[in-house]
Amino acid sequence: MTLLRHQDRVFYLFAAPFAALTLVFGLWPILLSIKVSLSESTTALARAPRFVGWENYATILADPLFAASLARTLIYTALAVAVNVGFALAYALLLNSDVIGRGRTFFKLAVFLPVVTPDLAGYVVWRWLYDQSFGALNAGLALLHLPGFGGIASPATAMLAVLIAELWHHAGFYVVIFLANLALCDKALAEAAAIDGASAWQRLRYVILPQLRPAILINLIYALIQFLKTFTVVVVMTKGGPNGATNFVSYFAYRLFDQGEYGQATAAGTILFAIVIGISALAYGLAKRGQA
Amino acid sequence: MGGTTIRLLLAVGMLLLGGGARAQQLSIWHDLGDNGTKWFNEAMEDFARTHPGVSIKPVSYPTDQWFGRVTAAINTDTAPDLIYNNYERVIRIATQTGKIMDLKAALAGVPDHGYLSDDDLRVATYRGSMIILPIQRVQMAFGARKSWMAKVGEGFPVTWEDTKRTARKFQDNDPDGNGKPDTFGFALQASNARSLIHMLDLFVFGSGLKHTVIDPDGKIVIDEPRHAQVLEAFLRIFANDKLVPPDTVNYAFNEMYQVIEGGRAGFFRVGDWNVNKWTKQAIEGDFVAGPWPKFFPDLPNAVVIGGMRGVAVPENSPNKALAVQFAQFLLSKPAQQISLNTVGSAVRKDLDTSALVEQSKRFANPEWNLVAYDFPESIHPWYSQLEEAYYRKLMAAIASPPADWQAFIKQTAEEMRATAKTLAAKPN
Repeated sequence: MTLLRHQDRVFYLFAAPFAALTLVFGLWPILLSIKVSLSESTTALARAPRFVGWENYATILADPLFAASLARTLIYTALAVAVNVGFALAYALLLNSDVIGRGRTFFKLAVFLPVVTPDLAGYVVWRWLYDQSFGALNAGLALLHLPGFGGIASPATAMLAVLIAELWHHAGFYVVIFLANLALCDKALAEAAAIDGASAWQRLRYVILPQLRPAILINLIYALIQFLKTFTVVVVMTKGGPNGATNFVSYFAYRLFDQGEYGQATAAGTILFAIVIGISALAYGLAKRGQA
Repeated sequence: MGGTTIRLLLAVGMLLLGGGARAQQLSIWHDLGDNGTKWFNEAMEDFARTHPGVSIKPVSYPTDQWFGRVTAAINTDTAPDLIYNNYERVIRIATQTGKIMDLKAALAGVPDHGYLSDDDLRVATYRGSMIILPIQRVQMAFGARKSWMAKVGEGFPVTWEDTKRTARKFQDNDPDGNGKPDTFGFALQASNARSLIHMLDLFVFGSGLKHTVIDPDGKIVIDEPRHAQVLEAFLRIFANDKLVPPDTVNYAFNEMYQVIEGGRAGFFRVGDWNVNKWTKQAIEGDFVAGPWPKFFPDLPNAVVIGGMRGVAVPENSPNKALAVQFAQFLLSKPAQQISLNTVGSAVRKDLDTSALVEQSKRFANPEWNLVAYDFPESIHPWYSQLEEAYYRKLMAAIASPPADWQAFIKQTAEEMRATAKTLAAKPN
């Protein structure tokens, strides 16, 4: 009992600095932001802000641009999560299989290097790749006599172009999580299923995927949070355009902040925060229930 | 007792002297980059001759960050002593903070300020308060690549037809001679409301018209025949004629400058503040500046005066009195001369222009026709919201060009009338 209390003390001792940092740099800014969202913009940052209750929220929620931005964010998140996690799962399974022989290290590096590349630099290069006048992508397509890709210059393709750039940047992280989980999987189970006559698809569906549930859960939740907050790629590549096609909620709030509309900007940010928390909790709950 | 009193008086005297000689540093936040910093440092050298111990710390922010930083600083009582920018940006600061000092008394204290016209002072005044001391007039000319014009056998364009024809040649005739189809007619920007309207303003005012969206009486002018003609020509550059890089829809100032300085466009905006840099670096003098294209035979085309740039003093400036003195000093002849030499513009007309590069002289002693912006922000406080709504319509039209531009313009004008009515009815 005494030993346990001692262990507790040690735990709390080690955890305390991180808890303090979380409080100061995590929780406090969130609370401050919520306070600003309840204040009039012109006084929001002053010593004595004028509180306006839910007025900023009402303004934001009545703004059709915000509604469009929110809908766009949710659609993009759904697509980006599915594409990123799906691609990463397939890539990790391939890396873990015998299909790829000696090239395994190269392919691991190829998918992980973008993760450690500064996002700003990566997205600038993508912007150039997509450029309609000198971009390598369309030059390549022209060589192959294929029609050009509108990239970030066309409202019809801008979201897809952003998604591809983000896939390049983030997928490696999800692959690593899947690979770590695959390393822990019991290979004997798959072998036994093969001996019992299970097809490759059946082994994947009934033997491997259930064992990958922890990695799928982590990746899904992380990707949800990541893509709901999509921001840097928009600032660097599209500035919310063209014609609002990539004006996601984070960038919408940033533009308001940039115009000095602090109350509305933080209200939009707080709504996004609530959505992120809500969807993540829901996804976590559903996944946990599935495990039970 | 007498000795104690004398010692006390001496001590007080020493303290006062010490206080008088105490070093003071003024901070000023601007967006003019190295040239602006050089200007303020040199002006302070002059100012310090009569104000020993005073120094200045100029800080330059990219234009799109300047607004946010200044607003936040003023609202959190960490304001710089002075801010410097275009009048319209200072209006936004004044609106967002309510803490920009009225400089009417400061201007009254400047001897001999007759070189500031009524128009100059009107621009500097917002809701009855003089929010900036106007230090520089902003001139924006139409620029063309000299070598490209020679290559395609064209001169500096006068009419819109000349301009379009030459722009097409810039695009099709490989004027940079690199064998690649990588050149464009115009360098413009269209990533947000300010970007697009700013570009449209240049064509509208440059053609000799007086308003872009709304007149001082609140009448929407978009669909008046001449306005509609310029607007259609402008939108067609993007949507039908495709005389800009396709990525222009994502361009702000930075990207537009990259296109200009990277030698990818033949026609572009030349601000008086660009001339020094573009003469010595980047374009290396390979440009000619002149009036914007002429649309109407009976209306003279012009170089556009885009308002005034000036200094403002936040109410919570840490060294307010000294900041006002420095602001006043910036209108003195020596400081104005430094402004002209370093940044390329000023407001006084009695300055020596002999040391300026040739293109700068054309701005300093303009022989071209000048037309000023209409400054709707200072008349209609809700103008920025109207502008935002108007921009969204234009962006949508650029993305999906209508078959009949004139019908689109008519419909947009009606919508803007409804929007303006709603905005005007809202309490401030």
